[in-house]
Amino acid sequence: MFRSVLPRAVPRAVRPVSQSTFCAPNIYFQNRLRRGYASEAEDKDLVIIGGGVAGYVAAIKAGQSGLKVACIEKRGSLGGTCLNVGCIPSKSLLNNSHLYHQILHDTKNRGIEVGDVKLNLGNMMKAKDTSVSGLTKGIEFLFKKNNVEYIKGTGAFKDEHTIAVNLIDGGETEVRAKNIFIATGSEATPFPGLTIDEKRVITSTGAIALQEVPKKMIVIGGGIIGLEMGSVWARLGAEVTVVEFMGQIGGPGMDAEIAKLTQKLLSKQGMKFKLNTKVTKGDDSSDVVSITTEAAKGGKEETLDADVVLVAIGRRPYTYGLGLDNIGLETDNRGRIEIDNEYRTKIPHIRSIGDVTFGPMLAHKAEEEGVAAVEYLTKGTGHVNYGAIPSVMYTHPEVAWVGQNEHELKAANVKYNVGSFPFSANSRAKTNLDTEGLVKFLSDAKTDRILGIHIVGPNAGEMIAEGTLAIEYGASSEDIARTSHAHPTLSEAFKEAAMATYDKAIHY
Amino acid sequence: MNATKALLQGRQPMIRFLGKRTTPATIDHTPHAHPASPTHSLPESFASYRQKAQQHGPLNQYSTGHVGSRPGASLGPIEAGKGNFFDRSELPRRFQRLAWTQAEIEAVESGGASQFA
Repeated sequence: MFRSVLPRAVPRAVRPVSQSTFCAPNIYFQNRLRRGYASEAEDKDLVIIGGGVAGYVAAIKAGQSGLKVACIEKRGSLGGTCLNVGCIPSKSLLNNSHLYHQILHDTKNRGIEVGDVKLNLGNMMKAKDTSVSGLTKGIEFLFKKNNVEYIKGTGAFKDEHTIAVNLIDGGETEVRAKNIFIATGSEATPFPGLTIDEKRVITSTGAIALQEVPKKMIVIGGGIIGLEMGSVWARLGAEVTVVEFMGQIGGPGMDAEIAKLTQKLLSKQGMKFKLNTKVTKGDDSSDVVSITTEAAKGGKEETLDADVVLVAIGRRPYTYGLGLDNIGLETDNRGRIEIDNEYRTKIPHIRSIGDVTFGPMLAHKAEEEGVAAVEYLTKGTGHVNYGAIPSVMYTHPEVAWVGQNEHELKAANVKYNVGSFPFSANSRAKTNLDTEGLVKFLSDAKTDRILGIHIVGPNAGEMIAEGTLAIEYGASSEDIARTSHAHPTLSEAFKEAAMATYDKAIHY
Repeated sequence: MNATKALLQGRQPMIRFLGKRTTPATIDHTPHAHPASPTHSLPESFASYRQKAQQHGPLNQYSTGHVGSRPGASLGPIEAGKGNFFDRSELPRRFQRLAWTQAEIEAVESGGASQFA
């Protein structure tokens, strides 16, 4: 009678036990007081904390390799920053705002008369959301297809093999794994003195979700994120001012000549730039947000007012709440998880990939690492060439580069040849009436091996793939120049720049 | 075809077909600094953790790197060598004895009734 009253099947938090360990002979005690040292549930081969680009790619690759894998993601949708609030939604807005801007300003000379053109920001945001949800659901499908267990919740290390997960839908669970990948990504670095509310003081997350076009926008930081989002809102009608501490836009990787030209082209589109300028303080207590600036090397103060301030001074690794202290894992002075050449932390079965560790914070770098880290696990060897990772800025015109820039080569005392070709001399660019920009090659003076390729111009982001392949395989500029490129295409400008590097371009 | 042949006599492209990729027979798995590491060195903790973890186990005795490609027995004995003694408390926490909780003791003593009181 006692038994029928008691809920015998009620799951109870028990110590980890295995079937082979002691079981009380009394039937009533069985499954209740067993003690042991291994988990009753089977350990996973791999658990990945973070379902962003690094994490989900690693999860799919692991599933394809036959590993028993689970991926923990707390956002509620897969894809991380890139798919949800980064690369993908921003590209949707960049593409559609460019179309809007082009229809407004660049149709008459193409023989197209348009009537009243209006912006419907709500629908533009819906189009962005549709792209995002389609892609994130696509990853969920790929998880199912490749037998990846998707755990929606916040994971934290309990010990070196156990992750405690706070489930989104309520409740808690634990997963044990032989191997663990930390792929928790990064977050926008806040600006001291300004409180991010994602409405008036925004990061890139708020910049893809503004409800109306601000009259005035200040972008703190002239890197890729700042310029892309500044471009979007400038095209939609905002007066955008970019404040950059360094002497050039685009960040340190962009070639100085390309950065200068890009700044000129973006200025033509209405964006304003204040370079060599530091923001000393910000005030968001009144109706307008004001920031105080002065010359980077010291000088006269200036106060700038705006409806919206975009803080785009960089990103920092995200390890909050991960419980690294519980397992004694340390981060470096910039919050990155320390790893070796096989992505192992000091605890060899725990690896780290993507933004949360070393290297550029780029989605395609994270993808490469996701595949490589799984291959280290399954095959013992993996491959990521950190010297051949392209960077792309999706403004119009696009800017893309791979390898080293002139400044870096000079600093390394490398003798090099330069060859460039302007899109204004390219037939396809001419027919497209889109001729701004150039392709620039840097190759070793002695061997002609390509050391860097820098492009500003239409379709630069697609074109850089050829340059990355060339650098990956150690090609010379002559190799590119002697490879047939279809006519008439923009890629002919790429070939001609290669020709100009080892000899002379034909059409310029 | 002939024109290409003639051209290649004077110029050898730097891109060449290297053959199908294969996994190397031997791979050095000793930890080295990550290529993108700003310091180009590993923190001291990497070596110290491994030294500690290796004391009673086969850590770092990699062969192929395949998960489960070798039986655990082939990794060698995990017992301490002759003349070496260690306490269970020196092992990683998962191997250590679990402490009895008061609730468990009461459950044993009361025949389980305490759990449903």
